[in-house]
Amino acid sequence: MKPRIWISSLLLLALAGISGCRKHAETAKIDPLLSAYDSEADWTDSQRVIPLGYQQAQGKRIFYQHCVWCHADATPAGPSNRSNLTPVPPVLNDGATLNAESDEYLQNIITLGGSAMGKSAMMPPYGRMLSGEEIRSVIAFTRAIAQPPYQPPGRPGSQYSAK
Amino acid sequence: MPAEEMGKLTNRIRLVFAVSSLVFLAVLAISPFKDYRREWKQYKRSYLRFAQGRPDTKKLIADYSPSIDQIWLPGMNVVDRCTTCHQGITQTSLSDKAVPQPFRAHPAIPHNVRDWGCTICHRGQGPATEVAEAHESTLAWEQPVLPAHFIQASCGTCHRSDLPQTPQLTRGRQLLGELNCQGCHRLPGIERPAMLGPDLSSVGTKVSREWIYKWLKEPRTILDKDGNVTVNGYETEDEPRMPKFRLTEDELRGVSAYLSAQRAKTLVPYKITAGVVAAWSKNPELASQGELRFRQMFCSTCHSLAVTRAGETKLIGGNIGPELTKVGSKVNPDWLVTWLRDPEGYLPHTRMPRYGWSDEDLYKVTQYIATKLTDSDLLTGVPQLGQPTEQEIQLGHRLFLEKGCASCHVIEGLNPQKDFGPDLSALGGKNASELEFGAAKIPHNLVSYIQAKLQDPISVNPAARMPQYNWNQGDLDAITAALLSLKGAPPTSALQNLVVPRKEVGFHPTGSFAEVYERYKCYTCHKFNGYGGDLAPDLTYEGSRAQRPWIVDFLKNPQTLRPTLILRMPQFNMSDKDAATLAEYMTMVLQHPSANPASVDVKQFTPAMAALGKQLYEVKYQCQSCHTIGGSGGYVGPNLNNAGGWLTPAWTESWLKNPQALVPDTIEPRRNFTENEVQALTAYLMTLRAGIKPQKTARLSGSSTVALGAGR
Repeated sequence: MKPRIWISSLLLLALAGISGCRKHAETAKIDPLLSAYDSEADWTDSQRVIPLGYQQAQGKRIFYQHCVWCHADATPAGPSNRSNLTPVPPVLNDGATLNAESDEYLQNIITLGGSAMGKSAMMPPYGRMLSGEEIRSVIAFTRAIAQPPYQPPGRPGSQYSAK
Repeated sequence: MPAEEMGKLTNRIRLVFAVSSLVFLAVLAISPFKDYRREWKQYKRSYLRFAQGRPDTKKLIADYSPSIDQIWLPGMNVVDRCTTCHQGITQTSLSDKAVPQPFRAHPAIPHNVRDWGCTICHRGQGPATEVAEAHESTLAWEQPVLPAHFIQASCGTCHRSDLPQTPQLTRGRQLLGELNCQGCHRLPGIERPAMLGPDLSSVGTKVSREWIYKWLKEPRTILDKDGNVTVNGYETEDEPRMPKFRLTEDELRGVSAYLSAQRAKTLVPYKITAGVVAAWSKNPELASQGELRFRQMFCSTCHSLAVTRAGETKLIGGNIGPELTKVGSKVNPDWLVTWLRDPEGYLPHTRMPRYGWSDEDLYKVTQYIATKLTDSDLLTGVPQLGQPTEQEIQLGHRLFLEKGCASCHVIEGLNPQKDFGPDLSALGGKNASELEFGAAKIPHNLVSYIQAKLQDPISVNPAARMPQYNWNQGDLDAITAALLSLKGAPPTSALQNLVVPRKEVGFHPTGSFAEVYERYKCYTCHKFNGYGGDLAPDLTYEGSRAQRPWIVDFLKNPQTLRPTLILRMPQFNMSDKDAATLAEYMTMVLQHPSANPASVDVKQFTPAMAALGKQLYEVKYQCQSCHTIGGSGGYVGPNLNNAGGWLTPAWTESWLKNPQALVPDTIEPRRNFTENEVQALTAYLMTLRAGIKPQKTARLSGSSTVALGAGR
């Protein structure tokens, strides 16, 4: 009997050694605090809030500075300038139109302007005003708010999910 | 002991030895096993498996190292082992959202992780090698990782001047300034205005004791049951400047008694000419004529009024001055007349300009305010207080100092307590153990502490003297980020050298211009050399931009063509002399070096150039998408109907070449015009002349977007 107690007590000690002394602290739980700069209310359903990552949030800032005047139905200054333009520019969340365009195409049309890409000259070029990274962030924001939602083109290996 | 028994015993001992050696072996194996099972090693192996499934396996494996990875920057106090698990942090191919954490690449930011480490921005414990220890606070480690929502606070620790990329931080700093937090707290980098709250030295001549009582009990602003902020019962989005102090009935009586006895300057009422009064007092149109003048003068650019449209009541107008819906029931009518004639006579440092009044206008407008902007129920519920007793005044005097009122409001002869509230210059770097949580049931970390204190000061400290503010979530988070950014003096000289200091801005004009500029308070809305408000266009280079006759004309009659616009330049009834003084100074001094009006002569433009310019404008560049000429075009940029009468050709040429060089935050796209095209477009624009003025748009109150005024 005695050795069995010995062994089991040793085993218990060993187990305790393996699993012991792991510190678990009180986690800093912050609710996803949603405010304007890192989220955007869905333009077609204001109840739905779209969280934005770093790049998308930068894109949102640039969009509301430069693009909102013609690519949204309401602007911070009141009515939209869209109705003054022919052809009427797409609203930024118009997934039916913009989802079909590649990131490269959007990058080009923003950088070089509409006339360089065979579209309306009313779209000015922004390549001398915004950096490539800033333009990419605007595209990231466009993708984030698209309705119907944007599906990036499939790439081998991108479906990997860990664990 | 018989031999056979000894043998048996030996066997038993052997067994015991065998088992205990096995156990020892097992115990010895625990250490290498534990080492093998270490959290960071698991992430290492998991990353290897992950890399196998990627199209760029070769590159990922080539950059892989099986050991602990550490960024060591001794000058900056950085020992960050975060990259041990966050192994893909610099792999651009892993920036996709589908890449699982902790392997995803960092979003592209101006700082390289190898040069800066991680904890400089994200906080947390750099040297830790376990997930929980690195990210959260434990007994041994005090700094949890900063939630990503507040990450802009870290930008602000070094970047003391505002960055366009950090709107939340900028808003927070703006709130700290607007809400006069520096009245009680030391807040480095937050500008301290000449006047925090209004000077109350003569407030007894302005309002009644009952009104003061009501104001102190419930400063017009009320948070309704749905969490909406209302002013006088009307919903608004602006954060009110006067917070609520939790005063008892006796304290309310004391402070109202003390304040109503403040009459440092006796009120000498201005007598409106008897002829004007006689002509108008019986006129049934008096109030409506007064309202018309009130509107024409654009008082609403700074003051809001409750307006009911389509059954919905809203505050419409600016927030520079107080809301005026019920002001007729608040102020003494004699005081009102005197105030409007000369605001600075009552309140030094006020932002209210001194209008050029005729007695007739003054009578009409004051009668409109006193008879129409009223509410007979304003003081319902306020007890009859009567004449203040000496005892009440003494109590009020003591409370005025004790409650911190004197930190924001000046009263002649009263010295406020220095450093009334705690110094907040290093609040953002405090460890949880340095904070007082009291009985509050909140997580013990800095972010929760700051938010609890801001929302309900007595929840963390029942003896707190801090008053009660009403926050919407966005503003609460913004001000939290701004406070988190204040980490005091950098701990090392290398970090000290990285600090980008706040730009000192100032504009100190002299001579007759200074007198007129100060009288009309131009800086309340316009910026000059970085100093001033941002409601209206920056005038730093106005002398290069606009032609002198146009400036004079505009100052005398600043009308625009936009009926929907609420915030416009007030009609000051400026004299010819004042307008000439301002225009003279602007054309002489407010010049941009690369746009000297004398450098381009309009005579050099030929009709052929103008014709080419018109074609470029309408066909090649389609400027009409944003600018209006005649009846058609967009409204994003200013209307160009009178470009030739408004803009100088030199400014127009420089502007077309590089608008941002003249106005850094303008949204006019910078095009790639050739020299010829610039000249042709300028020639065309200079032919545009009309009796009407270019329209300007001012930004709406509370919005963070740039103004779209002339030249923006």
